[in-house]
Amino acid sequence: MSAATKARRRTAARVTVLSLISLPWVVLPLWLLLVNSAKPLDEASLLQLGLPKTWALWDNYATVIDQGNYLQALLNSLLVVVPTIAVVVVLAAMAAWAYARSRSMTAKLAYNVTVLSIVLPPAILPTIYELQTLQLDGTRLGYFLVMAGTRMGTVVFLATGFIKTVPRDLEEAASIDGAGRVQIFVRIIFPLVVPVLLVGSVILIISTWNEFFFAQFLLHGSDTATLPLALFQFASASADQAVLNWNLIFAHVVLTSLPIVLVYLFVQRRIIPGLSAGALKG
Amino acid sequence: MSETTYPAGDTVTADHREPEIPVPPKRRRPRRRAGWWPFIVPAFILVAGFFTVPFLLNIRFAFTDWSGYSDVISFNGLDNFRSLIDQGILWQSIKVTLLYAVLAMLVQNAFSLSMALVLQRSDRINGFFRSFFFLPVLIAPVAAGYIWGAILAPHGPLNNFISLFSPGFDYAWLGHGTSALICLSFIDAWKWSGLVTLVYIAGLNSVPQPLIEAATIDGANPWQRFWRIRFPLLAPALTFTVVTTMLGAINAFDLVQATTRGGPGTATNVLNIAMFNQYGSGFFGSASSLNLVVTILVIVLGLPLITYLRRREVEA
Repeated sequence: MSAATKARRRTAARVTVLSLISLPWVVLPLWLLLVNSAKPLDEASLLQLGLPKTWALWDNYATVIDQGNYLQALLNSLLVVVPTIAVVVVLAAMAAWAYARSRSMTAKLAYNVTVLSIVLPPAILPTIYELQTLQLDGTRLGYFLVMAGTRMGTVVFLATGFIKTVPRDLEEAASIDGAGRVQIFVRIIFPLVVPVLLVGSVILIISTWNEFFFAQFLLHGSDTATLPLALFQFASASADQAVLNWNLIFAHVVLTSLPIVLVYLFVQRRIIPGLSAGALKG
Repeated sequence: MSETTYPAGDTVTADHREPEIPVPPKRRRPRRRAGWWPFIVPAFILVAGFFTVPFLLNIRFAFTDWSGYSDVISFNGLDNFRSLIDQGILWQSIKVTLLYAVLAMLVQNAFSLSMALVLQRSDRINGFFRSFFFLPVLIAPVAAGYIWGAILAPHGPLNNFISLFSPGFDYAWLGHGTSALICLSFIDAWKWSGLVTLVYIAGLNSVPQPLIEAATIDGANPWQRFWRIRFPLLAPALTFTVVTTMLGAINAFDLVQATTRGGPGTATNVLNIAMFNQYGSGFFGSASSLNLVVTILVIVLGLPLITYLRRREVEA
């Protein structure tokens, strides 16, 4: 009886502590963001936490969509992020299987070069130079290729580590039964690595949807800007004025983050355990 | 190695259309020779082409006068570095970058490890809070910069709160050199700790339970149990998080660009911001030089850090 009350009291204490931490850490920043994105400029510039006295929700968001280049940027982001994930996940799984099974020294070298790309910082100016040479500078295709090339290493690394722990029995049995490599990959290996690839996709979504560094160097102008770049251009355009358009900047932040947060809400139950298990493979 | 090249454009969809029943005579030879390469080459071309080749080219570009003002690129030795030193950019930005990296690493790991200890057990409550604290990870660093720029503004919510105790408090957190750098490392921690916490939780859960029970029976208090048993066994997780948070912070760019842009003065002028400014002024060679400095910092700091922390793992 007393043990039960003790446990209950401890749970209550834990919930209190966690709530107290999450209030300033997560709740208030997000509340500030949402509530001020619905206020008219004069009210929003006070940066207060109260509910709007006059609601300007529709006006603000309409302005952002209209002047903030939102729809074009959303399309650009999707046109880069979706192919990046598809291409990286498939090609990384293929390469990871080969790296995990091949004993060739050249393959080992290729693997090490790939893994180094995770740790070493990317070289931005030669990338621009290369894309200029290929006449892909400033295009979404060029940006996509750079995203895929710089993000490939992480997924290859995660998947190779995983496949190495899988016994070869299944593959050997299939091979004896006359299955070719491609068949073995499609029927056996790929389904096996799907959980790791899901973790990889989460890392890819977070790092490409929010990517800004390469975007600022590689995507000039507003036609090809992805969401974070469009947000930056929009906020910078108002930075010269005496008062920042906080209401509009906040509305843009909400719209930029909305797609990824929605995806997260759907898959959150799988992400959190997956990430805590997969992240340590290093 | 045999010279069996595999068409890079060939995608997996093409491979799917393999005949269901193998036709031995047709595929016998080339298949054997091809070995693993068809699986490696597509991924490797992307990595080599868009990471490794530019990376190697940069070592050359760093010593050239490549600029937006001339079509000719020629070797100019250490001139870029000399001029960066003369302008007072090089040492200042190295100093700021290192300071920021250490601060960001410390704040992030201290907070995440504490959170992991609170959230370690997997139950419904902790599951909820883990997902909740993960939310900032999803937000773009640029967006995080604007949110915190507002919170830290002279008349923003933070100062309003402090004004309850000290009326009229209107310190510009991002407007003073030292506090700006510290605030940036806190924002970085805010952005990433949801993820780092998960790594620590995985590490804590890999500590064998019997070990902790044995220590409890032997009379070790929670404090001792943590520092003597769990912390040393946390070494793999610690290696991972310390290295990634530190190297991540050396590459800082987005957050600074969205808040201080290197200011006030040069107080938050990290290397990547300095590089962007050189690029913006058309000095592509100097920008490459600063990029090379980032690379050197990552190698010089990363390698010993990994070696040192790995050695501790073996001892534990």
